[in-house]
Amino acid sequence: MTRNRTFILYGLALLGFVLLPQLLAVKYYLHLSVLALIWVIAAQGQNLIQGYTGYVSIVQAGFMGIGAYSTALMGIHFDLPVWLTIALAPFVTAFFALLTGYPSLRVKGHYFAIVTLAFNMVIFIVLMNFHELTQGEAGITGIPKPGGKDGLFNWRDRETYYYFVLILATLMTGLAALIVRSRIGQILIAIRQNEDLVGAIGIAAWKYKLFAFVTSAMFAGLAGAVYAHYQSFINPEIFGIAQSLDAILAVIIGGSGTIAGPIVGAFFVVFLPEYLRFADSFRLILYGLVLVLATIFMPRGIAGVAKDLLAKLPNRRT
Amino acid sequence: MVEVFQQIINGIAIGGVYVLIALGLTIVFGILGIAHFAHGSVSMFGGYLTFFFVTGWGIPLLLAILLSLLVGMVLGVLIELLAYRPVRDANHINAFIVALGLTMMVEGLNLELFGHEQVVIPTDLTRVFDIGGVTIPELRLYVILAAAFLIFAMTVFVEKTKTGQAIRAVAENRDAAILMGVNVNTIPLVVFAISTALGVCAGVMVGSLFAIAPGIGEGLVVKGFAVLILGGLGSIPGAVVGGLVLGITEALAAGFISSAYKDVIAFVVMISVLLFRPQGLMGKS
Repeated sequence: MTRNRTFILYGLALLGFVLLPQLLAVKYYLHLSVLALIWVIAAQGQNLIQGYTGYVSIVQAGFMGIGAYSTALMGIHFDLPVWLTIALAPFVTAFFALLTGYPSLRVKGHYFAIVTLAFNMVIFIVLMNFHELTQGEAGITGIPKPGGKDGLFNWRDRETYYYFVLILATLMTGLAALIVRSRIGQILIAIRQNEDLVGAIGIAAWKYKLFAFVTSAMFAGLAGAVYAHYQSFINPEIFGIAQSLDAILAVIIGGSGTIAGPIVGAFFVVFLPEYLRFADSFRLILYGLVLVLATIFMPRGIAGVAKDLLAKLPNRRT
Repeated sequence: MVEVFQQIINGIAIGGVYVLIALGLTIVFGILGIAHFAHGSVSMFGGYLTFFFVTGWGIPLLLAILLSLLVGMVLGVLIELLAYRPVRDANHINAFIVALGLTMMVEGLNLELFGHEQVVIPTDLTRVFDIGGVTIPELRLYVILAAAFLIFAMTVFVEKTKTGQAIRAVAENRDAAILMGVNVNTIPLVVFAISTALGVCAGVMVGSLFAIAPGIGEGLVVKGFAVLILGGLGSIPGAVVGGLVLGITEALAAGFISSAYKDVIAFVVMISVLLFRPQGLMGKS
């Protein structure tokens, strides 16, 4: 696929996202779209560590939780403006990611996955039981929207928030693309392909892995913070292991190790469960089945398949 | 002091369950390089099934366990054939994602078949022994003995039998094993059957000691992997030591610090071991 064609495709996609609120007749779909865009941010982060570096981390939702709780708690206890707490949340998340990343990156492959999963459990248990800080299962209510009541934009309006999240998701996707194309990104890909070789040519792979892990956590922290102010309510329920698995699913279904993949995948994991509602308790089984079948038959994801199809189009020179 | 011994006994019982789960995981990992994440949910399926046979059909407990073992082994073999075999030659991440998908499916199956309510497998082992102030419920004692027997049986099987030898050969060097005439297509099936059988036993123990409920399986499999990380990969003694350390730590933490945070403390122990001995307590560096 030529570079020009890629740019045109991303441009068209962005135009589509800008027009989307005008096209949606049902308000509920707009709500789901906001959630999906928040998931795009988290999934782009997940893709950095899982898709590019080749380390499956199962703590993305836990980090979203840290981002969400830190923005809410900083607002409540220090009376900081919402914009500032949203901006600080990724850094609070990064601090915890540094603490957890160092020991967990000492093990490879599956064991890294299990250690990160244990961290997600720890985060969940603390959110549930540290009542003094997090108010436990009941959660935190009344998290303010950004901006005052009489500012230029009305942030209580769902459409306004949609565009705010769209801008963030676009910026973070751009940032992910920049990272991947940089020297650092190339080393991350090299680690995925052959970590021993990376070490052998004198590159300290652990630094790059830690960078990927912490950066992916910052993406999650931002997503969590934006989520908290969108819903005005958070509780531990949505930051559990099941949601971390959603982040993994988004990357796999969308297309692991591609920039377009997490975008497609995020919409998939938000909208698919809605469509599977009819199946009720079979939903989990169907969802798992989709994951298994997609991995077996479509390991490169929707973006990978689409790329192949596009490459087959006649390459006209005009 | 009596209280400490009491908690240690409790820890050995739960640690025994962890060891069984960990052995099932380590044998699969050794042969196929798969982190069989669905193992916990499959084990719970076995526990549920025993509960159903006992309470629903009135089958005696031992026979119910035997039937559950058979069904569980068939399920394990099917999982290997239908889900893991197709991704055998792909990147290892793919197998792990398949494992996550399988977990959802088995959890969903458990919910669909057995519902949301937590269940306890009824036993008539209600006597309580008292040794110098330390009370040991009969059931807990049998669980510890059964776990010890299964660990012993598994060790003998892997070390002394022809099939066990083939399993170790495949784990060590797959290509060489093929050249020596080991059928590498049937070995994974045997491994999954054994692994699932151990898991079902663990599931029955959890179901009779505590309770089975949705989500317990996932917690259990994470503990199983924590045991492997603690003890060192691919080492049976490592799994035994790791499981007992984790179980006793948890019991002591629950008894003396906080039962809400017992899992956090168990994971902190795991992380500390990783920091100082990345190869695990019994692993070779």
